[in-house]
Amino acid sequence: MPQQVIKLAVLAISLLLAAVTCLGQSTSGTVNMSATVSKFVELHSGGAVTLTGNSGGGVITDGVANSPLAVSINLGELGPVNTNNFVTAQVPLKLRSNAPYVLSMTATVTSSGTTTNRIQAADVGFGLGTVTRAGTGVHLTGTDTNATSGDPTLPANGSVNATSGRFEFTGVRSNLAAFTSSTTALNGAFIMNAVPRSNTNGLTVPAFFAIKPQFFENGTTTISVTFTVTAP
Amino acid sequence: MFKSTKGVLKALAITALITMSAVVTCAQTTGSVTMNATVSNFVELTSGGAVTLTGNMGGSVITDGTANSPLAVVVNLGELGPANTNSFVKLDVPLRLRSNVAYQLDMVSSVAGAGATAFSLKDTDVGFGLTTAARPANLAAGVDTNATPGDPTVGGSTDVDGRWVFAGANSTLGAYAVSGAVLSGPRINKANAANAAPALTLPATFAIKPQFYDPAPAITITAQFTVVAL
Repeated sequence: MPQQVIKLAVLAISLLLAAVTCLGQSTSGTVNMSATVSKFVELHSGGAVTLTGNSGGGVITDGVANSPLAVSINLGELGPVNTNNFVTAQVPLKLRSNAPYVLSMTATVTSSGTTTNRIQAADVGFGLGTVTRAGTGVHLTGTDTNATSGDPTLPANGSVNATSGRFEFTGVRSNLAAFTSSTTALNGAFIMNAVPRSNTNGLTVPAFFAIKPQFFENGTTTISVTFTVTAP
Repeated sequence: MFKSTKGVLKALAITALITMSAVVTCAQTTGSVTMNATVSNFVELTSGGAVTLTGNMGGSVITDGTANSPLAVVVNLGELGPANTNSFVKLDVPLRLRSNVAYQLDMVSSVAGAGATAFSLKDTDVGFGLTTAARPANLAAGVDTNATPGDPTVGGSTDVDGRWVFAGANSTLGAYAVSGAVLSGPRINKANAANAAPALTLPATFAIKPQFYDPAPAITITAQFTVVAL
């Protein structure tokens, strides 16, 4: 009988020790991570500017592909001394996003002239050219909507006003007067697939600016254009 | 009368002798103590210490690891989109293992809330690996078998679509959608005291390449480790 009691006591102590050991043993653990992918849109220069039809003038600060867009151009002479059909500046833009985007533009034209014959916003033709989605990592099947009429020098986009004789850019959103406040120029689907930012491909589109040399009031003119891309 | 008295005394003396003899015969001269015991398989996983978060943009360690405490780390990795220009968002989580038998460390993981298109962040976009080293002398001799390629930020390249691919097998959480072994080996500890035993410590590394993933405001990545005795 005493031996049975001792055996029971030993068994109980063993079970108790085992239970204590099990309670103190950790065999699993967790690592919980949270993260965010925010909407991302980017506007950069698509490369060098092309200036044509100019008399004097030149590209002061050229565009550099994949660098911030900060182009400065002297368009030269815009009076009748310049016998070219148009003075045009073609500025390549490069867009990238992981979400649907909207490219807006706002423009100001200031002239030292004081009469209606001075260069005004409506005298500066504008349009976006062919939108190109190309390269590895670009969402090739995304669609884009160009709100402008394209190259403003196209015959369909402008002509001489029969009454005033002044050349007018007449296409939809074909001159800077349509952009005195921020206005959509282009929008579309997300541009980039899931690729690193170091991938330098994207959507490229040329922005055309054109001025018909005319008997404008003499003076100096400053044309300032700001593009902004957003992800609504 | 005298004779009868002697007879009584004899009888008493005989009785006393018989009684003493009986007592001597009944006395115990040896004894034994029998003890039963068990040494059970013991495996343990705890935190190996503080985590290290690098390359993050807006992230932080919410619940850090504490050495020798249960592993329950919570980390905000921050921005994983292209706004983060770092090469990788990287999290090193020190693990601490002890055992008196051969062990196997398993992991199961999940990624949620990242979206469902081809361009959403997937479990294959989360690099993973363990970095092992030779056991120190205070541990039982043996070699640990690492089923992962190690630090996931080493190697790797973009695929034909331009998406980042981590190098090697078992190098992403895509390999651990169901529980799988990440490390195994022979017994870890010598016959040390349980409360002061050395341990096998090694970092578990998680890494994500910031890319043009679909926007997602609340991504949750979970990794659960379990150690079992073999």
